[in-house]
Amino acid sequence: MSLTELAFKLNDHQSAEGTRFDALVTDDGVLEVTCSNNEEFPINLVKTETQLLSITPLFSVAEVKPEQLNELNEELLFISPAIPLSAVGRQGDTYILFGAMALNTLFENIVHELEVQAENTLDLLEVIEPLLV
Amino acid sequence: MGILSNILTAVRGGASEVGEAVVDANAMRILGQEIRDAEDAIGKARQSLTNLKATEIKLKREINSLQQDATDYESKALLALEANNEALAMEVAERIAEIEAEAAEKNTEHGQLSAQVNKINTMIRGREKTIQKNKRELEKIKTVEQLQKATSSMSTNFAATNASEHRVAKALDRVKNKQSHWEDRMEAGEWMAETNQSDDLDAKLKGAGIGASTQSGGASVLERLKQKQSG
Repeated sequence: MSLTELAFKLNDHQSAEGTRFDALVTDDGVLEVTCSNNEEFPINLVKTETQLLSITPLFSVAEVKPEQLNELNEELLFISPAIPLSAVGRQGDTYILFGAMALNTLFENIVHELEVQAENTLDLLEVIEPLLV
Repeated sequence: MGILSNILTAVRGGASEVGEAVVDANAMRILGQEIRDAEDAIGKARQSLTNLKATEIKLKREINSLQQDATDYESKALLALEANNEALAMEVAERIAEIEAEAAEKNTEHGQLSAQVNKINTMIRGREKTIQKNKRELEKIKTVEQLQKATSSMSTNFAATNASEHRVAKALDRVKNKQSHWEDRMEAGEWMAETNQSDDLDAKLKGAGIGASTQSGGASVLERLKQKQSG
């Protein structure tokens, strides 16, 4: 399924938990998805030859209280394994929450992954927020 | 050195800026081309391997047939000897010797071919492993590239909004507000549903003629007035 097809299906879908999706493919081929359970932190989907990657940019290094950067990194290392289906990482200067799915993942499972990632984002940021400026 | 170390070195070296490639795009194209070339070469090697294997099988069949011929002629030579026809037996024996010589020649050829087939087979397997490894390496680079792409648009937004402090806290507040608003609406919806249900119940009771005034306002007032007049 191409990202455009996925966008069409997501825009038409409502999950069992009532989550709706607003999906749009950008000019540079990234599928931006806003989940109704977390409209502030959209999820960006991209494809490689073997994977479908879902990335939520969280915050930049500049947004971390400088004296607490180490503490933040340590906390993220501890928290990451506890988050279902997602992992925390850093891309350039941006901290991200991300998931990786096989290209043949069923649509229902992609929906579930997105829904969980949107919730994980809120849970994680709630914990980390005191360390941000 | 593995590709992951290369990526990490590049990132540490500051290649993590938006739009800057972690690994030289040209190097990636070359690696991709090398993989495709190697796959083509393996495809061709497989084709010639198939031909070699076919020749090997054909030789084996010919050897078996020659051996069968030799055995047949041996029994015939014995029959000639039993019939005291030594001249004929000698002729057959010479034929057997010819057949055996031919079989031995083909056997040597078969042995060489067999070794060659095994060698090419091992080589192809080795190359295939290398290709798979290279493909995984390329996938790592492409993953990082896609990650950069997916992160970059939002990073630009971060930069634009960095002036505002507590961006994350404010965003979390907005989500919470929306969620509580949504919960309020859910609660209101439930209340509405309950109210409708009790309305339904009243309607049912009324329909059954229980607990409700059975006459409409005007008619009951007129009835009351009539009773007053007659009283």
